[in-house]
Amino acid sequence: MHFPLAAAALYLHLPILIVIVSVVYSATRYEDWPAILREAFRWGLRMSIFLVVIAVLLFVLAKFI
Amino acid sequence: MTSGTVTNPPPEPRLYSPLAAFLSYLVPGLGQISQGRIGKGVLFIVCLYGLFFCGMAMGGWQNVYIAQTAKDGTEEPAWENNSLHLPKPVANLWNRLHFVGQFWIGAAAWPAIWQYNDLPVPSEQTSPFLHKFQRAPTPKEENEINEAYGKVPDIAWVYTVIAGVLNILVIYDALAGPALAAAPDPAKRPAAPAAQEAAPV
Repeated sequence: MHFPLAAAALYLHLPILIVIVSVVYSATRYEDWPAILREAFRWGLRMSIFLVVIAVLLFVLAKFI
Repeated sequence: MTSGTVTNPPPEPRLYSPLAAFLSYLVPGLGQISQGRIGKGVLFIVCLYGLFFCGMAMGGWQNVYIAQTAKDGTEEPAWENNSLHLPKPVANLWNRLHFVGQFWIGAAAWPAIWQYNDLPVPSEQTSPFLHKFQRAPTPKEENEINEAYGKVPDIAWVYTVIAGVLNILVIYDALAGPALAAAPDPAKRPAAPAAQEAAPV
């Protein structure tokens, strides 16, 4: 499978974006830090699961259809 | 009322702070800092400026710009790249929507407006960086950036747009406080009249 290192490195941007988006979004919804961090973790998890599901779907489509 | 149930007091009306909102538009988090919410302000400034400037650096400092692509009825060819016959600045934004998101980062995106209006900038010989800073690249420059960095410029503008759009939430936080205010502490809640009435004498 052709998967150059540069292409793989692109995905390293994902965790950065997920963390920043979750933390900033949560900080605009809550005032105290424990609530912000809890909500950020939940949003990070939701976004990661969503992206993994999309990735699996695309992989299945590419591989078997 | 003698039901014995404790009723919650009505929520306090939100106090709006337009000045803090404007400060948070200028610099992300500045409004929160002016309100004494230092930690959140610093979080916003670090995260959003970090995202925005990293994105600009990855894009060769030329991915936050308004491109001169549209023509109006007075130019030849008339209405080129402007099939909706919009005013020229609106059509230019419509043709490259990135700046509509990037604009909300505040003062950090103003050089793009400066460059779009062809206002004076240092010459290329004096300061090549400032000369090109947030200026729309020529097709040749765009090709060079894409050839040199591959897909990174595409990720780069995503960074800048996400930073700008997130700052809209930060501006609202400065204007009206957090979207979901914490529930009042029951220990600090004043005793409700109903509870006092129900208590045995």
